Amino acid sequence: MEVPGPKRVADILAAAGVRPTTVIVTRGRQLLTKDQRVEDGETIEVLSVVSGG
Amino acid sequence: MKCRRCRKAVAAVDLPSHNSAFCPDCFFLFFRRQVQEGIRKFRLLSPEDRVLVCVSGGKDSLVLWDVLIELGYRTEGLHIDLGIDGYSERSREKVAAYASSRGKEPIVADLRAEGIPIPEASRRVRREECALCGAVKRYFFNRVAAERGFTAVATGHNLDDEAARLLGNLLHWDGEHLSRQHPLLPEVEGGLVRKVKPLWRVSEIETAAYGFLKGIDYVTEECPFSIDATSLVYKEALSLIEEKMPGTRRVFYQGFLDADLWKRGAPAGPAPGTCGKCGAPTYTETCGFCRLKEQVTRAGGRG
Repeated sequence: MEVPGPKRVADILAAAGVRPTTVIVTRGRQLLTKDQRVEDGETIEVLSVVSGG
Repeated sequence: MKCRRCRKAVAAVDLPSHNSAFCPDCFFLFFRRQVQEGIRKFRLLSPEDRVLVCVSGGKDSLVLWDVLIELGYRTEGLHIDLGIDGYSERSREKVAAYASSRGKEPIVADLRAEGIPIPEASRRVRREECALCGAVKRYFFNRVAAERGFTAVATGHNLDDEAARLLGNLLHWDGEHLSRQHPLLPEVEGGLVRKVKPLWRVSEIETAAYGFLKGIDYVTEECPFSIDATSLVYKEALSLIEEKMPGTRRVFYQGFLDADLWKRGAPAGPAPGTCGKCGAPTYTETCGFCRLKEQVTRAGGRG
């Protein structure tokens, strides 16, 4: 999904409807906190941490 | 956001439930201390223990193995290959790769080799995959521990798992399960090994962050049979509460343990007998594992 930047991680998650307590957000090998800013054109990955069973 | 501990580096992990944020190095320290405190509080493990760590290939179990190694415990990994096409191969590869990176080789129990891959066994005996999986895993925990002299079996259940399970057990007033919901299940004479959950103080987001920052390559896909797991509903409910009131999940589970509610109604179980076929501990003449194998074979013969 594409979101125009710059935006805070927390705002991107809110726009995507993702609950922040259920994911970690990465940029390359870096782990991002929810207040960090993502610039226009950057790619981040949102990884679910919730496991079932 | 700066690291709240060293106050120098940029924070990589923010933890509203602890009202804190850490850079990678300080987070590793925090995480290890949380696990150490969890072990110490209930005397889950001692330095003399030989610990069998159950590793599925997912983040929690591999992180558990990693942190126990870092803390200096004598560990080996047990992987149960469930025989689920694709998923099991990928899981097994991740376990082997991690073990190799630590100079170890996992002990593998292969359910295809045992003649009871979970999907096929489930179809043949018409029982849910997750119920069979749980029973088979418990069987191998005890069997491998007895055969190889392990004094404790450790699983990667984390705070979110335990809080979700607690919510489910409370909603159903399930006294029997509540009484067993503790990070420590002591050894029972007759072949039931001590079972421990050293990650009970750390959340899923913390294990995921630790795994990512340590470069642990784990299986990110979920078991195909866990998609409708009821535990996910309870986790979602707790997530919603946690978001509005950080730290509630920890208070919920910790409060349950501190109040000793888990002891209520816990029957002093008798020592198990021995399975007439395989020698495993059992409360019936033939253990559940051997009965399952027989049922699968019989059903296969009819098919």
